[in-house]
Amino acid sequence: LQKIGVNFTVSNKDTVKSSDVLFLAVKPPIIPFILEEVGPDIEPRHIVVSCAAGVTISSIEKKLSTFCPTPKVIRCMTNTPVIVREGATVYATGTHADVEDGKLLEQLMASVGFCTEVEEDLIDAVTGLSGSGPAYAFTALDALADGGVKMGLPRRLAVRLGAQALLGAAKMLLESEQHPGQLKDNVCSPGGATIHALHFLESGGFRSLLINAVEASCIRTRELQHLADQEKISPAAIKKTLLDKVKLESPSLSVASASKVSLFTSKSKKN
Amino acid sequence: RLAMEASELWVGFVGAGRMAGGLVRGLLQAGKVPASNVLASAPSDKNLDAWREMGCRTTHCNLEVVHRSTLVFLATKPHILPGVLEEIRPAVGSHHIVVSLVAGVTIQTLQRLLPPWTKVLRIMPNLPCVVQAGAMVFSRGSNAGDEEAALLKSLLSSCGLCEEVPESYIDIHTGLSGSGVAYVYLFAEALAEGAVKMGMPGALASRIAAQTLLGAAKMLLETGEHPAKLRGDVCTPGGTTIYALHQLEKGALRATVMDAVEAATNRACDMAKD
Repeated sequence: LQKIGVNFTVSNKDTVKSSDVLFLAVKPPIIPFILEEVGPDIEPRHIVVSCAAGVTISSIEKKLSTFCPTPKVIRCMTNTPVIVREGATVYATGTHADVEDGKLLEQLMASVGFCTEVEEDLIDAVTGLSGSGPAYAFTALDALADGGVKMGLPRRLAVRLGAQALLGAAKMLLESEQHPGQLKDNVCSPGGATIHALHFLESGGFRSLLINAVEASCIRTRELQHLADQEKISPAAIKKTLLDKVKLESPSLSVASASKVSLFTSKSKKN
Repeated sequence: RLAMEASELWVGFVGAGRMAGGLVRGLLQAGKVPASNVLASAPSDKNLDAWREMGCRTTHCNLEVVHRSTLVFLATKPHILPGVLEEIRPAVGSHHIVVSLVAGVTIQTLQRLLPPWTKVLRIMPNLPCVVQAGAMVFSRGSNAGDEEAALLKSLLSSCGLCEEVPESYIDIHTGLSGSGVAYVYLFAEALAEGAVKMGMPGALASRIAAQTLLGAAKMLLETGEHPAKLRGDVCTPGGTTIYALHQLEKGALRATVMDAVEAATNRACDMAKD
């Protein structure tokens, strides 16, 4: 990130002080501790955006309200392809976030893909679908490539073609008014190769596997949220294990003191 | 060539079984052909009683049907047909239109066993022709032209959907729609059984199941929308329908149905070779 010009600090407090829009991009169990740490520095101008899976708006507002009476909180769920500006993002606005605050976030996130507002209770479903979705796609692509290799294609070419096929299909669907079922039919000439292949997919319960996957991811998100709400994970345990992990992974990162380490960088927008 | 008005047509049926009965019922109900213009032959009176009740004329003589009809439907069982064709061959002329309903007997076979000038067509109907909601496909032989095809289509559209197809589609039609009717009956039975399990009386459940299938099919035919879209329209997010559909997908219903159509089609092909 430093290479592309992002300012870097090991102080969470500095990040908060020099930002208007604050993205909390730490793992869900860490959120409560981050909020405790930066709470005092949160001012009315701040828009706190949490990307943490399963962390509710009300839990964030509750933690921050001890420091700030009307914290602006927006909860969002995005996915990894924001990296290539083809992300899928949804957001839900908290009690004190204005319409303009939501629109600002939407503008920001729309620059890296699709972004729309939803009711908070749909965010778990979104996690199951587009949050985890890229993993399903990577798995499918790996397998498709295997199929290509089995039938004689070199691996690199197989991966490239598989990815392009999915990319192209997705693009067709997004740009078409037609139902995916109709688009599928358009590819299946009578008695041809594709319909034979599809029969195999159906026999394997392909569709139900995907439905199961989305459902499992959504349900697990809710479970994790439930666990977090009950604060079942011991705070001390989390801090220590993660601290050790960070030391292991980034020996160049200077550790001023145990309580002051910024475990992850935060995106910041300067005044 | 004489242009034939359906009402002036003399229609004969060699064989008077269930399928023939369904077709003639449809024709008569739609008023396409007066019953008095219909002559049917069968070895025994068992089937012919029903025809007489409809006002048709009957006989035990196949040759008589051919002599007194212009449009002759062949509706015997497959193993009987070769014998019957040998019998009627001398009486078949160039004015006749011979339409075979006999499962598994190809146009090639029919033309081989009939005089070389015969206008032959082959049709595969399905049972709901009886209630004028059939699905039929037909193919023409070498001497059957546009006039004969148009006549057949116009007559049989009174019994439901009637389309001309290449002969290779006929076995597929068997798998899809000929046998397909039975798949629907099975599905209807299962639907009703599910309802009974949940506490609804059987007779009511059966009527509702049938109406559900009828209504859904009607919407498909009348809206022309893709079934996937219509399915989506019924599925409210997190609602009952999507939960149920998930169960169907878990059971690989789609693949099973595809398997069924494939099995019936292949069996039709195999039987035709016998």
